[in-house]
Amino acid sequence: MTAADELCYAGIRELGGLFRRGELSPVDYATEQLGRIERLDKSLNAYVTVTAERALADARAAEAAIRRGDAGPLAGIPIAYKDLYATRGILTTAGSAVLADWVPDFDCTCVTRLQQAGMVMLGKLITHEFAFGIQFPGHRFPPARNPWNVDHIPGGSSSGSGAALAAGLTVGSLGSDTGGSIRGPAAFCGIAGLKPTYGRVSRAGVVTLSWTLDHTGPMARSAEDCAFMLQALAGHDPADPASAREPVPDYLAGLEGGVKGLRVGVVRDYFFEQVEAETVAAFERALGELGRLGATVRDVTIPSIHATPSFMVIMLTEAFSYHERDLRERPELYGEVLREKLMAGGLFRADEYVQAQRLRAQIREDTARALQTVDVLITPTVLGPAPAFKLVHDPDFPFAKSNMGPFNITGLPTLAIPTGFSSSGLPLSMQISGRPFDEATVLRAGHAYQRATDWHRRRPPVSA
Amino acid sequence: MPELPSEVTLDEVKERARLAGLPIPPARLAMVRGFLANALRPIRALDSRTVRTVEPAVTFAARGGTEAQ
Repeated sequence: MTAADELCYAGIRELGGLFRRGELSPVDYATEQLGRIERLDKSLNAYVTVTAERALADARAAEAAIRRGDAGPLAGIPIAYKDLYATRGILTTAGSAVLADWVPDFDCTCVTRLQQAGMVMLGKLITHEFAFGIQFPGHRFPPARNPWNVDHIPGGSSSGSGAALAAGLTVGSLGSDTGGSIRGPAAFCGIAGLKPTYGRVSRAGVVTLSWTLDHTGPMARSAEDCAFMLQALAGHDPADPASAREPVPDYLAGLEGGVKGLRVGVVRDYFFEQVEAETVAAFERALGELGRLGATVRDVTIPSIHATPSFMVIMLTEAFSYHERDLRERPELYGEVLREKLMAGGLFRADEYVQAQRLRAQIREDTARALQTVDVLITPTVLGPAPAFKLVHDPDFPFAKSNMGPFNITGLPTLAIPTGFSSSGLPLSMQISGRPFDEATVLRAGHAYQRATDWHRRRPPVSA
Repeated sequence: MPELPSEVTLDEVKERARLAGLPIPPARLAMVRGFLANALRPIRALDSRTVRTVEPAVTFAARGGTEAQ
């Protein structure tokens, strides 16, 4: 790997230091990243839109701010947004023909906050259609490919975000997570993805999938970089009715605190069902590493956890509510299979939605009880490594059992980070979940693990 | 009133689609049935009389909007 390649995988702390010391220009770095996207993205399809002029303008502004000495840690750092985030004057498609020509006249709150922090917008990243459907062959937007093996999916729905980060085509990204769409791509692409507490980061101006399950959050190559981005993103937004007024702590202040004395809970029931042996083995090694670092690990239970699949009643019903008019009036604009998946949400009865919400409350209470005895829960993020496209392009490919859904139901902060690789060379992952609004502990645990391991520093076989 | 069946049948999916006025193609009925069956299994297994009453996660504030906090 060349020095330029290595620099494309640098973290926010390292880049910020280089920028502030004048050893690297944000404009030169943005130029290098744009060139890399031009060279590599032809085979990965991570980007829907590259905003080269905007990137260079942002980089020049960041460079000026750094010279003046009034720039924060994100100044000059490249960012690319899932194409679900509204960006003023820039195409925002949600991966769908329905919005194929939508150019918003406003920035969503997250984009505004990262822009104010001095980040450099490289462009927009492909998402599964409306953050839910998988693009089948012939879809208007081709699917992103996994840099570790382009015959395999990068996960979804934040598919472009996962692929771009793994390939060094951006430093930061934003994803959205309704049933695992930040953590799934993070797991399959060997990167870090943080689904913050429900209400912690604004969703205003982000295309909806399911109001009571949607979360927005950072994706990056390390827990530390997620912490940097969360610091700029977190905080009340009156434009999002679900936005919380909880105070925002300093996520970086305690990041180096380690895990000595941290109480880790492992839920053996449900979360290990159907999980592949290599994923379990990597998970157990990760637990061992945390133990070696001073954490205490023990099993805990969530009695109602098996009711988790009922979250699909909530997600599908809310998604149908959002899409009903378009589904009825111009169904041809929806992709194959997604259309019927969304229609399934119109087949539930009102009482079934209410019962699903009651079950949700029970799962939330049981999980909160488990978190009274431990500080974090750690579970495998997904069942195995990324499947091949040929498998998921079967319309009857089953909707996999979700290890991620429980933390959308409960709204708890959850970080996915890599734990190793399968024998086929694909990344494996675990997720760390904490108490409501305790992202700081989740990030601290993830960072401690990443300081002791190098899985997040491995690079996929892409070359410029 | 008859008891709910524990499994979702194709006929039930067709009837639900008819009532909702949603034209689900025959080739996708099995997929939709799978979705419904998986999602409804915990609900059909639930005897709501035995569950401690839990409010659905819906909140209401009379003042509404950003002042509701």
